Amino acid sequence: MMENMNIIVSGLGGQGILFMTKILAHAALSQGCDILGAETHGMAQRGGSVISHLRIGRHQGTLIRAGSAGLLLSLDENECYRNLAFAAPGARLFVNLDRQLRPAVDAYLKDKAMTWHSAPATAIARQINAPFSTNLALMGFFAAFDNDLFGADRLRHVIDQLSPERFRQVNFKVFDAGLAYGNQLKP
Amino acid sequence: MTQEQFMLGNEAIALGLLEAGCQVLTSYPGTPSSEILPETVKLVQAHRLETYAQWSTNEKVALDNAFAAAVAGKRAACCMKQVGLNVAADSLLSAAYIGIMGALVIISCDDPGPHSSQTEQDTRLMARLAKVPVLDPANPQEAREMARLAMQLSERYQVPVILRPGIRVCHARQNIGFGALKSVPQKASFGKDPARWAATPKFRLELHGRLNEKLDQISAHFDTLAHHNFHTLAPGRSYPLGIIAGGVPYAVVRDLLDEQKRSDVPVLKLGAPYPFPRKLADSFTAACDKVVVLEETDTLIEYLLGEREKTLGRLSGHVPRQGELVPEVIGAGLNKAFESAGLPPLTQQQDPQVQALTAGLDLAVRRPTLCPGCPHRASFYALRKGRAKTIFTSDIGCYTLGINLGGVDTCLDMGAAITMASGFYHAFAQDQVHQPIIATLGDSTFYHSGTAGLLDAVYNGARFVLVILDNEITAMTGMQPTPGLGLRADGSRGKPIPLERVVKGCGVDYLEVVDPYDIKAMQKSVKKAVAYTQTPDGGIAVIIARHPCVIAYRDRAIAVKRKVTVTEDCVACGHCRDRFECPALGIDEQSGRTGIDRQICADCGLCIQVCPKKAIVEVEQA
Repeated sequence: MMENMNIIVSGLGGQGILFMTKILAHAALSQGCDILGAETHGMAQRGGSVISHLRIGRHQGTLIRAGSAGLLLSLDENECYRNLAFAAPGARLFVNLDRQLRPAVDAYLKDKAMTWHSAPATAIARQINAPFSTNLALMGFFAAFDNDLFGADRLRHVIDQLSPERFRQVNFKVFDAGLAYGNQLKP
Repeated sequence: MTQEQFMLGNEAIALGLLEAGCQVLTSYPGTPSSEILPETVKLVQAHRLETYAQWSTNEKVALDNAFAAAVAGKRAACCMKQVGLNVAADSLLSAAYIGIMGALVIISCDDPGPHSSQTEQDTRLMARLAKVPVLDPANPQEAREMARLAMQLSERYQVPVILRPGIRVCHARQNIGFGALKSVPQKASFGKDPARWAATPKFRLELHGRLNEKLDQISAHFDTLAHHNFHTLAPGRSYPLGIIAGGVPYAVVRDLLDEQKRSDVPVLKLGAPYPFPRKLADSFTAACDKVVVLEETDTLIEYLLGEREKTLGRLSGHVPRQGELVPEVIGAGLNKAFESAGLPPLTQQQDPQVQALTAGLDLAVRRPTLCPGCPHRASFYALRKGRAKTIFTSDIGCYTLGINLGGVDTCLDMGAAITMASGFYHAFAQDQVHQPIIATLGDSTFYHSGTAGLLDAVYNGARFVLVILDNEITAMTGMQPTPGLGLRADGSRGKPIPLERVVKGCGVDYLEVVDPYDIKAMQKSVKKAVAYTQTPDGGIAVIIARHPCVIAYRDRAIAVKRKVTVTEDCVACGHCRDRFECPALGIDEQSGRTGIDRQICADCGLCIQVCPKKAIVEVEQA
């Protein structure tokens, strides 16, 4: 059984934030956890900032309070920065990024004992000719670092269940490429 | 067999309705309510139920239809967004007096924030105005239970019952298990009783009295609605401060107190706040020196409590009077109240440093924008060019985003593009001023609320150009069909009613249909239409700008893909970015010229028509 956990997934409209959230939620659900989530719909989906809250464990409210998210996944650099206030001390951040973090952010994360990992998820997905699957590249990358809570096998199993038939194989390929990228970075 | 799903709040509401035996469901889409009806249809089809569901042309039409079904003894429901209930208010207030035979549940979804609405209005106040019971769920699971409860209450007391989920319930997800669903055998019947069903004012007085009696009974019922209305007072103890909360704020309060182990502060949860559970509330306030009220979005409980001296909340300045009660706002409000009552504060988890950090990063604000390839963008570009003095009245839909292209000057409510155009015309005409006016509204909005305004404008001799942006779908709320499409809620074919017939039926003599993807043709047609409004026997000119939505009908919308590139002729004038405002057009960091974002470009090729230097060209096909 997983512990209580708050997860923020952020990015831009159209990047597949909701699918990512769904994968994480189903992975938690498959372990018998209670889950709550909150999504952005409507006007905000037209290319604007999108944020999804996912709460694992016994909670009543769907929104994560500032300073209490232990895990943040972001498909966009700026959206990652914009949502930094959600991060709890010691939080882990996974960001789609092909360059260095902004120095001020880097210093802040170090100061708060937060760990962050970045991968050029968009480039990884594009290499496999699946530019719209950045979300799965980041998911695979995240899986390389997370064995206790989710783990690559469990996530792959959920992706298998949730993917529409015509996207299943490409989803696996992108996920695995992200995972390989992550594994190679690990100490 | 039970199955468990990570269910959207609106899906949980659909489930609750069907578990309660809902036989008829009507709706007009609107964020955050739009998914309730489609999710109901899915469950109905999966479980082979007999429930009838329909998209109605507007919320009043939807409520009248559901009301009639309930008068005929059926279990009916009707869903909409909170401002939709304004449209249906005429029906609601009368239906409360008359009552029903079967059951009538009205689901009106609120939008504190607001995230996707014109106002932050509180449906619970509308329930108070109409004198109907209202339930306020805290999360999807409670919304599902309350949908069932609402149906039971409505059937028992023969009164419409409102379920009011906030956006954080509608668009939240929760794991929910459920079993098999069954149809209800209740058959339609109508017992003639003109004194009730067609009551004249004399009988209305009597009905009002009966409604008041029902409310007294329901108020007593709500005093003991254990699972949804309860408090955590320890017997015989008194407290410096108690918290009264309902709906989404209750969930936040509960989590906050549990996390910080603050059992020293008792909570009264009011999930069913009206008719007010007076006894329950009085027993709570009697044990507390002060109470703080946390409710969305306005002040219902705070007004009904009536203990002005004791109560902290919006009226005392402890809780903000506008905006969503997100956890941080509730934390701050509680701490103000704790301080007033001499209690130790909650630990704030938000790091004060982080705000300064993110502010210092100067992050670009992502404003919502029309999609790449959206036909509305081409329409607004054509309308706007060279018309700085024109007043552009517009309306509710994706196309309100035409504001980014300078093509939207007003947006009031559904249908107001036409009625405000008419109002502006008469206001200026009175002063002998020929003010050019162009109104824009979408196809679904026109069917919803356009005809009454258009009839009025034609009849009273207003002059303006009305552009109906016909993308053949209700796009903003998630692609629901329109009467023009003729597709019904369950996917079956209905009778399509073309816009042309409706416009002509409203008495309009000038009508042209144009494809906005041909920007030049659109510009020409607008010029002609404007001229018509100025001729001696001219009047209202209507243009139907028809092109399918690029999201709903990708292949049909962009029949010929035109991959574009930017040549060296680009002088970086910014015309395409500022005036055409396509999110796929940016600045190429290396060349300083306009650059194309391949990831989001829809290959519509519209920007080729826009560049004054003809520097955006189609890539030669190899």
